[in-house]
Amino acid sequence: MSAVLDQHGHAAPHGEHRGHPSGVMRWITTTNHKDIGTLYLWFSFIMFMVGGVMALVIRTELFSPGLQWVDPDFFNQMTTMHGLIMVFGAIMPAFVGFANWQIPLMIGAPDMAFARMNNWSFWILPFAGALLIIAFFVPGGAPGVGWTMYAPLTVQMGIGMDLTIFAVHLLGMSSIMGSINIITTILNMRAPGMTLLRMPLFVWTWLITAYLLVAAMPVLAGAVTMTLTDRHFGTTFFNAAGGGDPVLYQHIFWFFGHPEVYIIALPAFGVISQVIPAFSRKPLFGYASMVYATSAIAILSFIVWAHHMYTVGMPVQGQLFFMYVTTLIAVPTGVKVFNWAATMWKGSLTFETPMLFAIGFLFLFTLGGFTGLVLSIAAVDIQLHDTYYVVAHFHYVMVAGALFSAFAGVYFWLPKWTGRMYDETLGKIHFWLTMIFFNVTFFVQHFAGLAGMPRRIPDYPLMFETWNRISSIGAWGFGLSQLLFLYVVLKAISSGAKAPEKPWEGADSLEWTHLPTPVPHHTWETQPVLH
Amino acid sequence: MSNNAKTALVLVAIALTTFAGIIAKYWVLHG
Repeated sequence: MSAVLDQHGHAAPHGEHRGHPSGVMRWITTTNHKDIGTLYLWFSFIMFMVGGVMALVIRTELFSPGLQWVDPDFFNQMTTMHGLIMVFGAIMPAFVGFANWQIPLMIGAPDMAFARMNNWSFWILPFAGALLIIAFFVPGGAPGVGWTMYAPLTVQMGIGMDLTIFAVHLLGMSSIMGSINIITTILNMRAPGMTLLRMPLFVWTWLITAYLLVAAMPVLAGAVTMTLTDRHFGTTFFNAAGGGDPVLYQHIFWFFGHPEVYIIALPAFGVISQVIPAFSRKPLFGYASMVYATSAIAILSFIVWAHHMYTVGMPVQGQLFFMYVTTLIAVPTGVKVFNWAATMWKGSLTFETPMLFAIGFLFLFTLGGFTGLVLSIAAVDIQLHDTYYVVAHFHYVMVAGALFSAFAGVYFWLPKWTGRMYDETLGKIHFWLTMIFFNVTFFVQHFAGLAGMPRRIPDYPLMFETWNRISSIGAWGFGLSQLLFLYVVLKAISSGAKAPEKPWEGADSLEWTHLPTPVPHHTWETQPVLH
Repeated sequence: MSNNAKTALVLVAIALTTFAGIIAKYWVLHG
């Protein structure tokens, strides 16, 4: 994006906080988009650690065949909570954190449209997270139903299921309020001259994601509410004995669930679309086609849900429809991958840590996309359904896609946020450890899945031992590598070298070109005018 | 009413209608 400003972002002096709360109360009562962005990011990292420990419990149990460390019921609780916490507690809040920090800076808005609601959106999250954790300590423990919470198993769970349903309601409310804030801010508060097609792509991807959230989260809320009424109020939406249909739950869940994949992936695409041009020192190739591709992916995401359910016994016409529209998603996704590669083509490339994570994303997310294409073929999916091939596929999308992009974003914007540089050498070590151990963990799971190893089991035949051992070693390496990330960030904040005004010479969005580093607590009190 | 409030109201209406609609649809079908 290129723009000329009449007025610079107004940096208010730091003495402006007279009478404002300090210490803990500052963070509880804050309505500043930067503070709230920081809260989201730290919360998501804590939940990432919690979900990561659960992943290590799973991988430790699976190191050898037979039952070693945990009983099968607890193993199921681990897989369920790992999924729920990583999706709703770690990845989604991480990108909402980026949105809070970056969207107002990038469009020249002084803050989010509804600053108090923004505070509320965040502070709901710790209570929802606490409910998920408390579920482990109630009679019957946490639900062991999988993150998809399929009926009729959900009807048989203890009180932990109710806590989880309530947590999902809270997480959904938080997401919807956050989305309303994001859409309103982008539509109504852009600086004069910041037309929609001049917005940085990160802002575009979040605008589309926020619409997806407003449309999809109420569907999940409806599904879990029906589960709740089936459990306690005598309804039988999903109970065949009362005339209901358990498969109906799957349809409703995946009508939410597939857009959810893109709710996670699109903001990741947005981050990558900021990072790659900055380190290629070239404008993003095919900006308009990126916007249209993002919109196309979002629309298609609502008509492909049953590719998650080929094995429930749907008519062949249904299988064909969902197969064709699923493969169609490869077209706009391919446009994006092509554009990122074309942006790098003949660019003046350098490979600082954000760029390394972006390129890592590009390779691995594309691999995850290809295995998604394999799984979209109904005849193949019927063989691979509920095997480790599926586990490998979605971890390439969720971890190598979303998490790598989040790392790229943190390394990219950390100097702007804090005014301090991270240690480049340690950042690169973090990247390579993450890259290597990620593949050690998940690449071999393709082979285990192709050989027929089912997912969500604590025990397995001896023939799967080698792949599982490699995967478990990789998981421990991957988990421990993330402690290095924590160290790099804390070191940067506490004693990092002072960041230059514009550490990345190719970065060209407003926060880099027209705001000081570190960015002041209040920005754009006088909106810039772009020509 | 401000533009922001109008935008938010439209979005809240979409969310609440979707939530209530999906439950109502299957409640009616089921009955």
